[in-house]
Amino acid sequence: MTSKPTVLDLEKYIDQEVSVKFQGGREVRGILKGFDPLVNVVLDECVETLRDPNDAYRLTDKTRRLGLVVCRGLQVSLVCPNEGLQEIENPFGQQPQI
Amino acid sequence: MAGRLLPLELVDRCIGSRIWVIMKGDKEVVGTLRGFDEYVNMVLDDVTEYTVTAAGREKNQLDQILLNGNNVCIMVPGGDPEASSSSSSSSS
Repeated sequence: MTSKPTVLDLEKYIDQEVSVKFQGGREVRGILKGFDPLVNVVLDECVETLRDPNDAYRLTDKTRRLGLVVCRGLQVSLVCPNEGLQEIENPFGQQPQI
Repeated sequence: MAGRLLPLELVDRCIGSRIWVIMKGDKEVVGTLRGFDEYVNMVLDDVTEYTVTAAGREKNQLDQILLNGNNVCIMVPGGDPEASSSSSSSSS
């Protein structure tokens, strides 16, 4: 089988810590151990950041350890390396208080 | 090129043992994995279904289920939500 080059080059993040966000608002971090063309992702030492029970899109500082997990590609909306990641000030000014 | 540890291979190795499935919404399911298909629809035995709400965690016991793979978010082989307690920590 000939493999065609892909824009998805997660190979370079193998064994590095990455963040994965899902449709629906879940967010986890873990060490990337594997993936497939559908972006199913294997993470080791995975930690989920828990969300506000009343607002699924608001993260809290609470976490829970999941260990070795498989993330379903269908629901994955973002994969990014944690190294070099920094939070910046909101360039659009103050967000309205909810 | 595919990643080293193929995700669905890992799920396949989990057949016959306990698996914790975290859905897109507020539901989580723990059961013995009997099998799954290309969409990761799953057949699970001896299932406990958890619904996490602001009020707490609701538990529901089921004998055998066919879980639609459409809303599956995370699968944790051998995992158990009761053993994985949450902790408060600031992210580094």
